[in-house]
Order: sequence, then C-alpha cells, then structure tokens
Amino acid sequence: MYYIHAIASITHQNSFRVDNIINELKPIEKDSDLISPDYKEFIPGAALRRLSPVLRIGLTTSIEVKNKVNKDFDAISVGTALGCLKDTEKFLTTFHTSTSDFLSPTAFIQSTHNTIGGQISLGLGNHAYNMTHTQNNLSFEVALIDAMMCVNEGKSNVLVGAADEHIPFLETLQPKLVSNQYPLSTGASFFAISGKKNNIGVKAVKTNFNSASTQEDLVNFLSEQNMTLNDVDVVLNSSDTVQIPSTCDSIDYLNFSGLHYSASAFALHIAHDYLIEKKKKTALIINDMCSGKTGFMLVQSDEA
Amino acid sequence: MKIYITGYGLISSIGMNADESLVSLKNHSTGIEDARLETMKGYKVGAIHATNEELKEKFDIKTNCSRTALLGIIAAKQAFNGHPLSNEIRTGLISGTSVGGMDVSEVEYKNYLDGENHNPDNYKHHSSGVSSEQMAAEIGATDFVNTISTACSSAANALMMGARMINNGLLDRVVVGGTDALTKFTISGFKSLMIFDEEWCRPFDESRKGLNLGEGAGYVVLESEKSISLSKQKPVAMLSGWSNASDSFHQTASSQDGHGAQLSMQEALNVAGLKPEDIDYINAHGTATPNNDLSESQAIKKIFKSRIPPFSSTKAYTGHTLAASGGIEAVFAILAIQNGYIYPNLNFRNAIEETGLIPQLKFSENNKVKHVLSNSFGFGGNNSTVIISAV
Repeated sequence: MYYIHAIASITHQNSFRVDNIINELKPIEKDSDLISPDYKEFIPGAALRRLSPVLRIGLTTSIEVKNKVNKDFDAISVGTALGCLKDTEKFLTTFHTSTSDFLSPTAFIQSTHNTIGGQISLGLGNHAYNMTHTQNNLSFEVALIDAMMCVNEGKSNVLVGAADEHIPFLETLQPKLVSNQYPLSTGASFFAISGKKNNIGVKAVKTNFNSASTQEDLVNFLSEQNMTLNDVDVVLNSSDTVQIPSTCDSIDYLNFSGLHYSASAFALHIAHDYLIEKKKKTALIINDMCSGKTGFMLVQSDEA
Repeated sequence: MKIYITGYGLISSIGMNADESLVSLKNHSTGIEDARLETMKGYKVGAIHATNEELKEKFDIKTNCSRTALLGIIAAKQAFNGHPLSNEIRTGLISGTSVGGMDVSEVEYKNYLDGENHNPDNYKHHSSGVSSEQMAAEIGATDFVNTISTACSSAANALMMGARMINNGLLDRVVVGGTDALTKFTISGFKSLMIFDEEWCRPFDESRKGLNLGEGAGYVVLESEKSISLSKQKPVAMLSGWSNASDSFHQTASSQDGHGAQLSMQEALNVAGLKPEDIDYINAHGTATPNNDLSESQAIKKIFKSRIPPFSSTKAYTGHTLAASGGIEAVFAILAIQNGYIYPNLNFRNAIEETGLIPQLKFSENNKVKHVLSNSFGFGGNNSTVIISAV
C-alpha cells in the first residue's frame, strides 16, 4: 500500500482546508468559479501577481500538503494534461501581434508544463527529484505510478498531484474536441504518500492505452488484485460504460470536479474522504474520459 | 538490474540517421545556418531541410500529425526497427517533448487572431501526450505511454523513467527519448529571453553569447534481461546511471555553483556504481548561454576535481533541440562507445576565465570509451544526468 498522509485540493468545490469534503460536494454549475483561498498566505504578493491560476493552485496545494506533513519531500511528481494554458495563450498572442523587437519573457518562461513543478521546488526550497508528466486524461495516473515507484525505491515522503486550468478559448473547441457534457473547470489536488502506515492508501494503479473495452480491462485489473466488482464499496467514474453492481455506491466525479483532463486527482481526494466518512473499505476510480485510454485506481482503508 | 540498450535512432540538422550524423560529426560539419523559413528569418537555426510531406514520403509515414510527432516517429521507428512485437514482452513508449503540437497550433491560433478560416480541429495535435500516443501506435509499443515535459531535460528524464519502470517490474522493454520541432513559439520565446547568439553558438567559450535553436528527435530501446532473451536483440550499450535533481534557484537561470547539476551528476554516478575517474567522456548540456556553461563548468569541476575527462557540447552541431537534446545526445553517446569516438566542441577559442576548462577540440578516434556521462538541464532548475556504458 502507498499510504496517503496529507491532501490539499483547490477546485470549484469547497475543498481546501475542509476536514472531509464529502458533505461539501455540490454538482458543478456552468460558469461556476474556482473557490480560491487567500493565496497571499502562501505566496509573496510580488510573485503572486505573475502567477497564472494553474501555478497558484499547484503551488498553494503543495505548500499546504508540506505544512501538514511538516517534512521535506524527497521526490515530487506532477501531472498536468494541458499545462500552463493561460501563459501559453498569452505568449502566442504577444508574438503574433507585437510589432516590437522586445517581448516580455514572463509568459514564455511560465508556459512550459514543468513551471508548476519548478515553482513548487522553488517555493519549498526543495532539491529533490522533480518530474512532470503529461498524458491527456491519464496525466495524474502516470504521475502517481512514478510516485509509487519512488516509494518502492525507498523515498519516504513523496509529493504527487495534478493541476490544470481552464481558459475561455477552450470553449471555442467545444463540442468538437472537448465534451460539453460537463462545465470546463480548473483544479489542483496534491497528496503526500509514503509506505508508512496510515488509514487510507492507494493499493494499485493501472493505465490502458489501447483499450477495446473498459469493462474487460477492469475485470483484468481487479483480478490481478484477487478482487471482483462485488468487493468494491464505491465506484467513482467518469462515464457509465461499466456496469456497476446495485450493492455498490457510485459517484460521477466530473459532476463535482467539472471537466479538466487531470480531474481524476480530485477523484482520489473524494475517494479518500468517502472511505473515512462512510467507514468503508474499498473505492475504485475509473477514468475513461478519453475513449480507448483508461485509468484505474484502487483505494483502500486499513481501518474499515 | 541491468538495463540494456538494443536500438537507437535519431534525426537532426546534421543527419537523418546515425550514419549521416557520424559523417557530420567527423567532418566538424555543423547543421546550423541562417534560417530559410520566413517565420524564422534572421536567426541561425539547426533546421531539418525537408517539409513534413517530404519526410512522410521518405520514411513512409501515413499518420496525420504535428512535425514534433513526425520527427519522433522517424527516430523511434529507426530505434525499434527489427524488434519483434510479442505479448510476452510488455512494451511501452516514454517520450519527452516541450512544444508538442505547437507547430500546428501556432499557425491555427494566428488564423483565430486574424479572424479567418479558424479550424478548431487542428488543435487535436496540440497536447504533448497526443504526439507520444501517435508514436506508440506507429511502432506498436502501447502497453504504456507517457510523456515527460520538463523543458530541455525531458528526453533524459524519459530515459530515466524507462529504466526505473523496468527496474520496478512494470515494463520489459521501452522506447525512450525526446522530440521537438522548431516553432515560432520557441524562437520568439528565446528571443524574449535575449539568449540567442546571432552568430554560431560557442559552448564553453569565454565570448559565448547564447544558443542557436535546433530541431530533431532521438530515441533508444531499453530492455530487461528477460526481454532480450525473448526478443533476441543484441545489446549495443547499457543505461547504467540516471538522476534528476532540482537546482531550486530560479525559474530559468542556473545557480552559480551548479548545485542541482552537482547533485544530478553525483547521484547518477552512485546509481551506476561508478567513480568520477571511470567516466571517459562527458557530453555536456553546454547550451552556450553565459549562465549555463559557467554553472555547468563549476559543477563539473566540483565533481571531477583535478581529473576532468574529455568533454564537449555537441549543440554547436545540432543547435539546442530542447526536449529532444537528451535523446539525440544519448545516441551520440552510444556511437562514441561503439566506435571509440570523442566529439569536438565546435567554435571554441578561449576558456571561460573563471573556470579555465578547455573542451575536446578535434574529432578523436581509437579511444577507450567505456562510460559516457550526459547532462541535460531544463527550465525550472530541472537537472538530469544519464550514464551510458559499454556492455
């Protein structure tokens, strides 16, 4: 087991510094806003002004997790599906429209995906392993696989999470490239994980990149864990492609996170708090936001 | 566990495969020249002189994709050529890229700004993850796909991630490396940072002013012992050491003493079980920016002390190919080990005053090259080192 020792999420829900988010969750409405904490508590004012939403939420949730565990991270693994969109769009606009020979480099510097991880290392004064994974809807899952390998390799306090931001331009791509079933959203969830025992942990993660059937892949994944769907107390899913037994609770997590491709990180936060609140044993997160590419995360309680 | 390298492939401005690249390396022949494309006029770049259509024709590729993905497919196919697919060999692809499909997006976004013929469908190439998925599908390595995006250290990190996945028992074989096409986005970006040299870049030279950008892709195939027993592929080298560390100094600049670079080089030596004196050649990051080369030189001096092995930056040949550089340079390292070559650092005249380090000046043959250390450092203080060794 890869135990979760601290979590912080900034989303469109009341999810930051809430003991348990289960009773806070409300279906996300179109045009809802990110619920932001006072970032100045985490980031100095001058730096804050330069930071786009994805950098603010990634850095703030990471600092919050660090404060909770009160110990330096010995590895950092970040997932992001589309990276720093706001700065990317800003720099695209600048160089396409500017007639000046001198362009401000800030947006370019902050446009690379690993600005999130880089800002975390700078903000925490951290010199450890620092990785940024980007793999569409499975960006968080691959970051988590990396973090779990870090634990296997002896790391004792690994920061793992994901962050993505919404920009209005994305709406021009709906519904052709981006589903419009759920409102587009911004969100970051970060976790401290280690092999040291705690209540809740991630038992297993699997990605499938050539998936013909989510149901079939899921049966295989669970059988590798000597389980079936009947052993699962709650399924958190991004679609209804998998038949869920009537005994099993189900949560449509995109209904709470809104749509961004690393939203399964927030699903892990929900799963964690669900198992504690309902005193249940096993949660399963099914991420098949993009067809043919599925991620499964099995989350368990040692207490229940 | 031993991580075997059983294939390699690359494309850059100095060659469309390993043989062509070696000819250029031997002849001190750079791929950097005045840009021919209108969007890049006024800069010296290491461009591959073929359109996407010409490349697709030449390499028989049908996939509708960005130039970044196309270069990646070309190099990954070379690397994976002759490797059998088998259900018993779990095979993945881990690719580094910084721009992804920006070469397509930036053109489409211009249309959007100009209010004409905006086709949103073209952004399907934008996400970096898509380029890797296309490459994986093209060569049949779909058991795991992952894209690393840590700017200029991306490919080195992909090598590291691949080795660790084999070590952790998650994969048996994995194609790893990086790809980046030249884009107006990156040209304008480095221009805004004012770290271009209008002349040919001069890594490790006192008069260096900045970098020249390049484009390309480089991939290698990593296999476990079990995998080569099934695939029957002959190892050409081994990936023996790897590390990533944060400089944690500044978003784009490196610390004066190269703290992060020291950490990554030392840890890679530890992973490989080697001492500094075991290293026969260092392929430096050596971008030719004033900041990087000083910082990297200081870090090399700290780690290697008075016994600094021959070192050079090959970026005066290829230009800085960003996320691809660690992949291209890993292939150069393999070729150095196979042939006993040490590559020159073009355009060097005078040592940096503070460090006095003099890189390799001439192409050299008949060397004993058993272990090559290769550095890749990226924005965000992301420092990576890999060590490639003889089998």
